[in-house]
Amino acid sequence: MKLTRVLVVEDDADIQKVIRMSLKIRGVSEVVLVETGTECIERLAGFTPDVILLDVMMPHVDGYETCRRLKQDPGTRAIPVIFLTARVQKADRERGMKLGALGYLTKPFDPMTLHDQILELLSEPSGPETEKGGGADN
Amino acid sequence: MAERNILDSLGSGLVVLDARDRVSFLNRTLAEMLHASAEEWVGRSAGELALVMARFALPVAAPRFDWPEVFGSRDIEWRDAETLRFFREDSAPLAAEGSGQAGAAKGRVFAYHDVSHEKAVDRMKSEFISVASHELRTPMTSIKGSVDLILSGFAGETSPEMQELLEIAQKSCDRLVRLVNDILDLSKIEAGQLKLNFERLDVTEIAVRAICAVKPLADKTDVRLRVDRPLPLPIVEADPDRIEQAITNLLSNAVKFSPPKAEVVVELSSDNLWVQCAVCDQGVGIAEKDLHRIFGKFQQLSEGRRRGGTGLGLAITRGLIDEHRGSIWVESRVGQGSRFIFRLPIAAPPSPPGPPAMAGQAVKP
Repeated sequence: MKLTRVLVVEDDADIQKVIRMSLKIRGVSEVVLVETGTECIERLAGFTPDVILLDVMMPHVDGYETCRRLKQDPGTRAIPVIFLTARVQKADRERGMKLGALGYLTKPFDPMTLHDQILELLSEPSGPETEKGGGADN
Repeated sequence: MAERNILDSLGSGLVVLDARDRVSFLNRTLAEMLHASAEEWVGRSAGELALVMARFALPVAAPRFDWPEVFGSRDIEWRDAETLRFFREDSAPLAAEGSGQAGAAKGRVFAYHDVSHEKAVDRMKSEFISVASHELRTPMTSIKGSVDLILSGFAGETSPEMQELLEIAQKSCDRLVRLVNDILDLSKIEAGQLKLNFERLDVTEIAVRAICAVKPLADKTDVRLRVDRPLPLPIVEADPDRIEQAITNLLSNAVKFSPPKAEVVVELSSDNLWVQCAVCDQGVGIAEKDLHRIFGKFQQLSEGRRRGGTGLGLAITRGLIDEHRGSIWVESRVGQGSRFIFRLPIAAPPSPPGPPAMAGQAVKP
């Protein structure tokens, strides 16, 4: 599988740049950046990315609520969502996965392996929950 | 009577059991906690007391004369109607008058201290650390991401000097990440908020997993890792991820302090009560004067700091083993190596399955 279009929902401008560069150097042609959950939902009108990378801690509509809304809407339900967040505790992971996310990656991430981690998650058969990433875990 | 007044005036609940597991004294504070009068309890059995306490306490407080530990201490939740409080239950043997010997105990005293305020402070501290951890991760992600990308050559060639300086920044950033993770772990343990997923398991499997995790580090200096288990181990009840974390911590330390091509052995053994795991190295060893502080926070010896440790690994490891009602200690000689040993209680046999349904017995929907 080839990763072509990625929607990144991230409110920190510097982290946005790092994510974009780490995906661009691996050949992802379209990396769309938005800052909030509301923008994410708006941007999906007429745009279907291969995957959504979703931060959790964002103003107004947080990542969990954004994911919940995406999975409730028949028009966006099928788009894979992978959390990419600094919330590293077990309860946070469980909450994210229960909302229907495909995976849970934690910050700081390795920009040289982010692309491969996403591909790995996308190629796994759906079924058991997949939780990946570094960081503390309790 | 004066003594009785003093004990009744204590803010902590107090009960004394005699060697026949009967209540010989119960103070007014504990009687109020139980909604009973102190006098009516004298002479009644520990079993009756446990039944009444079970209405309020979680896990069930069941004071007994033959308490498994000489000095016991544990935290319990005390729910009375809508009010939730936290108590620390301490227990100690009551020596026979004039004896002073542990073997001559004539009873056992249990004290219940209200630690609700401490718990609230712990919770606040833990929440603060959790938020701080998140806030620290955000800039760390930008720094680490940028440095990693430059080092990959994505932004153009770097001179050898630039490469060296960027590698220093990368290494320090990774260390900062480990430090934040460790602080978060330790704060959870200290606040009693670590959630353990207990399973019945064989520590051998966990030790093998830990060895696989540490192998890349050991390969850098050709240190060999090996499990030594002469006999099959009894089953323990433990959280596999947390025990793996404990063994991994001990193994990483052992590798870091071992000379190249040395051997690190995980020795597994058991007796009637415990499964024991010893991580043994042939490294630099620890001076006797340092042994008492080795499990403290930020108590790493200068050598450990040089080798990229956070100074919290052993404090976390001890916390994890304590949470499993185990114990951990170290034996070491300078120049000869160290043995970090922990033990976990053997699990009770699984409860037998219920009686099979009788043949021909009618089952109503």
